Amino acid sequence: MKKIYCNIKKCLGCGSCEIACAVEHSKSKELNNTISESPLPIKRRRAEFVEENIAISTGCQHCDNAACVTACMAAAMYKELKTGLTQHDRDKCVGCWMCIMSCPFGAITREKQEKQVVKCDLCPDRDKPACVEACPTRALSLGTFKEFKKICNM
Amino acid sequence: MAKPTGNPINDQLLEIAAQNNISTIWDRFMEQEPHCGFGTLGVCCKICNLGPCRIDPFGEGAQKGACGADADTISARNLTRNTAAGAACHSDHGRDLARTLLELGKGIAKDYSIKDPEKLRRFAVEFGVKIENKSDLKIAEELGEAILKEFGQQEGELTLLKRAPKKQQEIWRKTNVSPRGIDIEVVQAMSRTHIGCDNEYKHVLEAAIRSSLVDGWGGSMIATELSDILFGSPQPIRAEINLGVLKEDEVNILLHGHEPLLSDIIVTASQDKEIQELVRKNGAKGINLSGICCTAAEVLMRHGVPMAGNFLQQELAIITGAVEAMIVDIQCIMPSLPEVAKHYHTKLISTSPKAKFAGMEHIEFHEKEAMATAKKILKIAIENYKNRNRSKVNIPKEKMTLVAGFTMENIFYNLGGSFRPSYRPLNDAIISGRIRGVAGVIGCDNPKNQSGMCHADMVRELIKNDVLVVQTGCSGGACAKAGLLTPEAAFKFAGEGLREICETVGIPPVLHTGSCVDNTRILTACCEMVKEGGIGNSIDELPVAGAAPEWMSEKAIAIGWYFVTSGIFVTIGSPLRVLGSKNVTNYICNEIEPIYGGKWAFEGDPIKAAHLMIAHIDKKREALKLKPIMCAKV
Amino acid sequence: MQYVIIGSSAAGISAVEAIRTKDKDSKIVVISDEKKPLYSRCLISYLLAGTIDEKKIWYRKDSFFKNNKVNALLGIKAIEINTKKKEILLDNKEKVEFDRLLIATGASPKLESIPGIDKSGVFPLRTIEHAIKIQAMLGKVKSVAVLGGGLIGLRAAYALKNCGKDVSVFVKSGSILSQIVDKGAAGLMQKRIEEKGIKIFTGVAAKEITGDKSMKGVTLDNGSKHGCELVIIGKGVSPNMEIAKDSGIKINRGILTNDSLKTNVKDIFAAGDVSETNDIALGEGSINAIWPAACEQGRIAGLNMTGEKETYEGSLAMNSIEFFGLPVISVGITKPKNDTYEEIVKKDAARNIYKKVVLKDGIIAGVVFVNSIENIGVIGALIKNKADITGIKDIILEDYFDYGKIIPLIKKSKKGFRGPEFKETILTL
Repeated sequence: MKKIYCNIKKCLGCGSCEIACAVEHSKSKELNNTISESPLPIKRRRAEFVEENIAISTGCQHCDNAACVTACMAAAMYKELKTGLTQHDRDKCVGCWMCIMSCPFGAITREKQEKQVVKCDLCPDRDKPACVEACPTRALSLGTFKEFKKICNM
Repeated sequence: MAKPTGNPINDQLLEIAAQNNISTIWDRFMEQEPHCGFGTLGVCCKICNLGPCRIDPFGEGAQKGACGADADTISARNLTRNTAAGAACHSDHGRDLARTLLELGKGIAKDYSIKDPEKLRRFAVEFGVKIENKSDLKIAEELGEAILKEFGQQEGELTLLKRAPKKQQEIWRKTNVSPRGIDIEVVQAMSRTHIGCDNEYKHVLEAAIRSSLVDGWGGSMIATELSDILFGSPQPIRAEINLGVLKEDEVNILLHGHEPLLSDIIVTASQDKEIQELVRKNGAKGINLSGICCTAAEVLMRHGVPMAGNFLQQELAIITGAVEAMIVDIQCIMPSLPEVAKHYHTKLISTSPKAKFAGMEHIEFHEKEAMATAKKILKIAIENYKNRNRSKVNIPKEKMTLVAGFTMENIFYNLGGSFRPSYRPLNDAIISGRIRGVAGVIGCDNPKNQSGMCHADMVRELIKNDVLVVQTGCSGGACAKAGLLTPEAAFKFAGEGLREICETVGIPPVLHTGSCVDNTRILTACCEMVKEGGIGNSIDELPVAGAAPEWMSEKAIAIGWYFVTSGIFVTIGSPLRVLGSKNVTNYICNEIEPIYGGKWAFEGDPIKAAHLMIAHIDKKREALKLKPIMCAKV
Repeated sequence: MQYVIIGSSAAGISAVEAIRTKDKDSKIVVISDEKKPLYSRCLISYLLAGTIDEKKIWYRKDSFFKNNKVNALLGIKAIEINTKKKEILLDNKEKVEFDRLLIATGASPKLESIPGIDKSGVFPLRTIEHAIKIQAMLGKVKSVAVLGGGLIGLRAAYALKNCGKDVSVFVKSGSILSQIVDKGAAGLMQKRIEEKGIKIFTGVAAKEITGDKSMKGVTLDNGSKHGCELVIIGKGVSPNMEIAKDSGIKINRGILTNDSLKTNVKDIFAAGDVSETNDIALGEGSINAIWPAACEQGRIAGLNMTGEKETYEGSLAMNSIEFFGLPVISVGITKPKNDTYEEIVKKDAARNIYKKVVLKDGIIAGVVFVNSIENIGVIGALIKNKADITGIKDIILEDYFDYGKIIPLIKKSKKGFRGPEFKETILTL
């Protein structure tokens, strides 16, 4: 399964991934117009401070045994068989927030007005997820865990 | 390889660059994409060590910097510092010219002379210098002193503000932005934006406005007038533009930067017998001087020196392989040039005590020894001719003719065939509806927009709608390359009304008035148009508008501000970095219009922007109850 | 091999899917007393409220049984287990044999034995049938009395208020949601609910439901009378253990299971609302009758029925509800019963925010957040993995607390955070 990994050694916590994510999930998909949209788009990726000089960019981990899928009482969160990714079906979501309650990564956010949740969808309309492209230090990468370990020489 | 720019000359050379692994601005620009969103929106603050702080423009993360500054304060301070920096550039430019004038008057800078003594006298009177029974040099000395005094002035008002209509002067006084002196406003713009100082955004922006007025009615205007005095007031002149002006069999020397103090002397030095002899000795048929950026405009206007290219083309010029030397001074010079030049024989020479570049030979230029230094530099270039590698030479064929050198004094000698300059014919043309209004299209070129192509698109749209266009700087260069700066362009592209005027007078529909400091010629013209009467009693009533469709530099910000706060609507091709603050954006794009008569607009599409300007001009015409456009197009 | 599963809600469905990941061919029989059991019980109140239409309540499509090669006996109740013969007796007198059995019979609403409880117009709210019957009579209903201030009661109250009815809730204890959150959180929720027009009466219970042919109202234990046309009972659920009676299967609060979800009888498992499992926070057996626990238990029971050896780490009380735009989420112990627990509270009345963690010996036992619910799952992970949070105590309730802050804890933790995703995120630390 290909998903987004973050090399903490290169993450500066600058937040470019957050902005790129929000812009990608907006109506106009262009920064200067996005910020005057109402409602504003919601980022699904966060640059988080860990401790002294260490930061990480995190989002949905598309867990094998996803807590959100287990918790979802509407079957809106589900595992896509082909890709192994955790997907969200807006048609089924009732905004009960059980997934938010269950996600150990805090990766799910409320879209309050719509009573829906949003989370990383790996940017299905792009070749490369917006955050990966935006990362100025190339800390973020898309690939398998094996590929990630190789990139980090581990 | 960088994406094609759509400009065939540039793309041709970019391919060569790619083949030789030479990185150009287009490659590096792409590597910077996507640009940092926080910076773009103006919500990154690097002013103090509590930071660097950023505001989350989407409202979830931090909404205040560590000190408590919000997006309004942060973007206002950033914009003010940018404006001050731009104003500082033009102040220095004016200062250098004033110092040279003083040194000339004192007999120190002997290689310069007074080329327009009448203008010297007129200008001296404006500065309160008595001119009766005094020699040019004596007046020069006193004028130089008077001007320099204004740089250090602590109280009072700038002299040249008096050129503006009374209404503008009163607005500036009432809104507390009338500059007291040149340097003080730039210094205070810096000090006020220190951490924990000026924080209320409208007040912070007052400092920006002050800095900009110090540029437009101070440093830049002084520079324009002194350049005319020292190097000659331009007259309309034909010349050529684009990289095709480089010659296979002559020593190609590029003048790049901004100050005619350097470039003008080099033009004179190149005509020296000794130099010409050296050229022949080195096997070349002659010296081919050409320019890049504003210094190109200065020598183009006054000497017909061809313009090789715009800001974005400076690396491409070297990649032609045909340039023996590029001589640079200040501003808009890319530090990448040495990396590019190392693939060729081209020598890069920096000259300003204010600007050094790693990889460039530095031969410092001082006005006291101007000619000697100029000759020294020329000799290096000439002797480099034999090192040109013919196999690497790729001079594009394209070049275009243009007419440049319009100033607000000379243009209307032609209109109506008067003996003295008068704006009557222009005002009448506007009143009668032959000309809808006047637009200033200025500024840089930027890969963020269309690497220069926005200018031509916008200008064509404007002249199609009978708007007379005046231009400066790289914008003028871009339109010249597109063939718009020729009288023939009127037949091809202008609306009927405008075409009629251009035919009668023999001017292009697009008038190149010089370099970036010469944007003040447009300000002066506006003052004259008001004085002449019939199209508004103050600058904000005139049917005029401004645009910088591909702005790049901080100087452009300062210029934009001084037009806006002098009462002119200005549209720019990418937003100022304030969108992260709704309040600041709203203030500069809406709220200031009733205060100053001008405002900012952000529109990336050049055609849409042209129509914003046309709509604005129409609004002014309506308010003046002028006759409808004679040959109105849909 | 024949797998038999009694019950086809969360636990039963999860068990079927888990079995089929390991065993594609053996027979599976599912017995459910509901004719159409594949819906999400939790969505019934949304259905009643009219927030969703009937299409949305289905947790799995009708084709679920066919696609998983399940022989589904629907609308049939299993009434007796013969553990020696490994046989189940159905209410239609038929018998079903099993090699492995999963009891996932769920729970049923508790109905108090007050006079009038069996009148028409009195309903619990747990099944589709309840919702349909209530909807059918809404035309004649003006006022509703809800007995019970817990999740079901309040969800029903919210739903019926949404249908335009006049709603009063009668809560025996001193505050609403007393089973899951403390007074601090409950207070904020009650204020919002009352602002929006639902009346809440605490410290009072119904003594009698009155009326003859048509419902008249309820009489409360303080003597007052309250007129209404519909009464909803929200007094909790009790596990459907009758089937284990006299079978030899050990029961306590629910059917007792170990950490493999096995009962004391070989080849018999239990999962879901009927099963008693180890509560991670309490450290003792409990029933956490919530959807996520049922799904997880069903999954692990199903895997273990095929011979796998998965460990169930235990359940936690977990609830998420939102009324009129104000959400509250609670996990674990929010009302500690003695003073061996420490509490850290953060309040912001102006923004309607209430946050509390309950700790014991530096380990979080429970958390409740009102309104600012983002990142509560991170704290849930700390509870599940019994992480020592002494080092991050002072930031745990801050707005900026997030997953990044527990990464050093994950790195230090020896036994917890075994999920592969945790390891992946800290690989480069």
